[in-house]
Amino acid sequence: MTTLASIRDLTVTYRRDGNEVTALKGVSLDIAAGERLAIIGESGSGKSTLALAIAGLLPASAKVGGRIDWFLSSSGAKAPPSVLPDISPARGEITLSPLPSPITNVAEGERSAKLLISPLAGEMSGRTEGGVTECQPFKSELNKIPRLGRDIGFVFQDPSASLDPVMTIGKQIAEVARTHLSLTWSQSYARAKSLLERVRLPDLDSALRAFPHQLSGGQKQRVAIAAAIAAGPKLLIADEATSALDTIVQAEIVALIRRLVTEDGMTLLFISHDIALAAELAERIAVFRHGQLVELGMRAQIVGAPAQPYTRALLDAHIGLDTRPLLNRARLHA
Amino acid sequence: MSPLRRFLRTPEAVAGALLLAMLIAMALSASLLFPGDPQAIAGPALLPPFQDWSLPLGTDRLGRDVLAELFHGARTSLAVGLAAAAAALVVGAVVGTLAGFAGGLVDEVLMRITDAFQTVPSFLLALAFVSVVGPSLGVVVIAIALGTWTGPARVARAEVLSIRERDYVAGARVIGMHPLAIAFREVLPNALPPVLAMSSVIVAAAILTEAALSFLGLGDPNRVTWGGMIAEGRAVLRTAPFLSIVPGIALVLTVLGVYLAGEGIVETTAVRRGLS
Amino acid sequence: MNLLAVSNLTKRYRRGGKTIAAVDDVSFHIDPGETLALAGPSGSGKSTIARLVLRLIEPDDGRIEFESDDFLALSGAALRARRARLQMVFQDPLAAFNPRATVARVLDDPLRIHGIASRAERPRRIAALLERVGLTANLAPRAIHEISGGQRQRVAIARAIVTKPSLIVLDEAVSALDVSVRGEILELLLDLQRQEKIAYLFISHDLGVIRSVAHRVILLDAGRIAENGDAQTVIGAPQSAIGKALVAAAPRLNRAGP
Repeated sequence: MTTLASIRDLTVTYRRDGNEVTALKGVSLDIAAGERLAIIGESGSGKSTLALAIAGLLPASAKVGGRIDWFLSSSGAKAPPSVLPDISPARGEITLSPLPSPITNVAEGERSAKLLISPLAGEMSGRTEGGVTECQPFKSELNKIPRLGRDIGFVFQDPSASLDPVMTIGKQIAEVARTHLSLTWSQSYARAKSLLERVRLPDLDSALRAFPHQLSGGQKQRVAIAAAIAAGPKLLIADEATSALDTIVQAEIVALIRRLVTEDGMTLLFISHDIALAAELAERIAVFRHGQLVELGMRAQIVGAPAQPYTRALLDAHIGLDTRPLLNRARLHA
Repeated sequence: MSPLRRFLRTPEAVAGALLLAMLIAMALSASLLFPGDPQAIAGPALLPPFQDWSLPLGTDRLGRDVLAELFHGARTSLAVGLAAAAAALVVGAVVGTLAGFAGGLVDEVLMRITDAFQTVPSFLLALAFVSVVGPSLGVVVIAIALGTWTGPARVARAEVLSIRERDYVAGARVIGMHPLAIAFREVLPNALPPVLAMSSVIVAAAILTEAALSFLGLGDPNRVTWGGMIAEGRAVLRTAPFLSIVPGIALVLTVLGVYLAGEGIVETTAVRRGLS
Repeated sequence: MNLLAVSNLTKRYRRGGKTIAAVDDVSFHIDPGETLALAGPSGSGKSTIARLVLRLIEPDDGRIEFESDDFLALSGAALRARRARLQMVFQDPLAAFNPRATVARVLDDPLRIHGIASRAERPRRIAALLERVGLTANLAPRAIHEISGGQRQRVAIARAIVTKPSLIVLDEAVSALDVSVRGEILELLLDLQRQEKIAYLFISHDLGVIRSVAHRVILLDAGRIAENGDAQTVIGAPQSAIGKALVAAAPRLNRAGP
């Protein structure tokens, strides 16, 4: 199993009305290439902050500590390595960034200073003198800072808010393909059409020319998914992507995500508040609470034999079609 | 950060607040510093400024103290500006809320009336009203409000139309609240911020309109006004330009101060809303 | 005697020149102390029925009989007075309250409007109500936006029971809550039902929750009733196409994909 991204000691603090709110506290997590990993938690658990941090979408005012190292294979990186800092998801990642690192956001100045030299230096010092120069080979392996859109696809909860209301959906998808794959417009439209076919949108030719408001909620989310995978990303992040949809459409979208991820060999990060939904889709589940990682394990272990009482409580709180009805329990009490 | 501290960090807002504070200080201290009638003769006619330190800004054609007139004029400008703007905002907010909340025929009628007022240039309306009713402070206030309430009414109506559909309005109906109570207790307070955001422009415009009316001789004849002072100075514009320039500067600084301070308040409250 | 009897209820909307029936000839009844659930995909008309029953919108056709009176014939002061008996809890408790309100004001309004308690007596009544829904009285002066989502929904329930209603419409009332809070709120609702004999019109897209708390269920599809009956029976073995689709789509903990 190869690692796609390695998150170490990630801490994110927001400033709100003069108060500091810590959304993530010292989170360490490895995302394996090609796996389906679910991040679950209740409101305030930090699960969405984690998704935004990985995608590099945190607001500029957020303070970020720790690091995210990426292990993207060079085959997927066609674009030049230079990246604008504001779209770089690697806020905590400073090992290879040639740019003034956003690590200056880190609260503890001494810590960032040490990291700026090279976090690898510490690891290497036991074996070689002057780890900084010696770790060159590592640099080519850990090669690129991922780009949102090209390396990471992001699907938001509300497709009406993430799609441009005055642009046809064909153009929205084609634009992603054109930007990241250096295609011509006609090639991009051809790709948009095949993507819409893959997300099973009916009547492709009129769908290409349709505006978001002409589609249903489920169809809009299909379009958002098509746009997210348009450049063939390594990682697909779905942040509560089915929460605004009804049960039937939710099941369809989950099935769609599962199929696309399998077909393209993408890694999936599925953020959800619903442990049952996560268990249906993911191979591994990470449980978050109050900004901390409570438990991480394979699906069967988390669902069948949770180690933490909080995970147990979440499972017990699930009301499924086989749960004993509260009404019957109430009748027994009465 | 408290809104006050955020306000104090905005330089233009602070400059506006200082100008406004100066104006208010002038208005409040007018009868203390210049207890007599500002329209009484205080010295020789057409004394230029900075000649006689008992009359620092000199005298006008009739020998009246320009500084005393300026202080007393500040009262009129401030009183008329604030009263007219307040009247325009209250009438506008009430009409807009009723139209937006009631909908249907009420909305149609109120908005056509608003259209009618809006098609007549507001200064012309004020001019006509004062000419017919006769100049006095109250009439000038109503005349100015008559031409300015339509803007707040439209903004309030647009805001109410969106608030009307929110769950908490449905919730108020479910608990049996009277429709008028819903309109004025639940809806109106939440529709006010964008209406109040217009207040700085409205106050500034009202002060200018008042000055213009006075300049044309339609101000309250028993009060000193800056517009009246400029009109008075116009006759001797070549020989004694300061008589028009001094109240003119006062007018410009006042409008600027009101506008900057008002915008500062709107900005700081808007930032707070955006964050929460 | 039925508490609420709805017959042939119809509501049409015009959209782009076409007339669409959001609710199409729907009839049902609710008995005192009973929970009737409405379920269906989005656009099936369940929320429209809730708003029609509450007279937040007016039907194009049909009858609503509430406590043996023609509810649609009421208007003005008579309607406002009768609203005391028919309350509602919304999905998003933050949107359901005036953003400037405090907890105390939210509960004070119905007490004042229906003349239930004198001004001097109200603070004590508000404290008792807060305790009844599992909150502490010191929450009263807090602003609505300062308290947690679960607390807010408890306040919403307290507001709904102030006037001692016989029927409360719960429109996705637990859907936006965290799972740990959801269980507590459902327990509270069942407890209130047992003690005060309140009937619920329980609108939800979640069949698991409906099966857990409702006596009967109506499955809606495109504004029409597709299936109805005992909640556990219908959800256990749905007969209609929409029923089968809804049951198949419900997430299950023990069903894992490849």
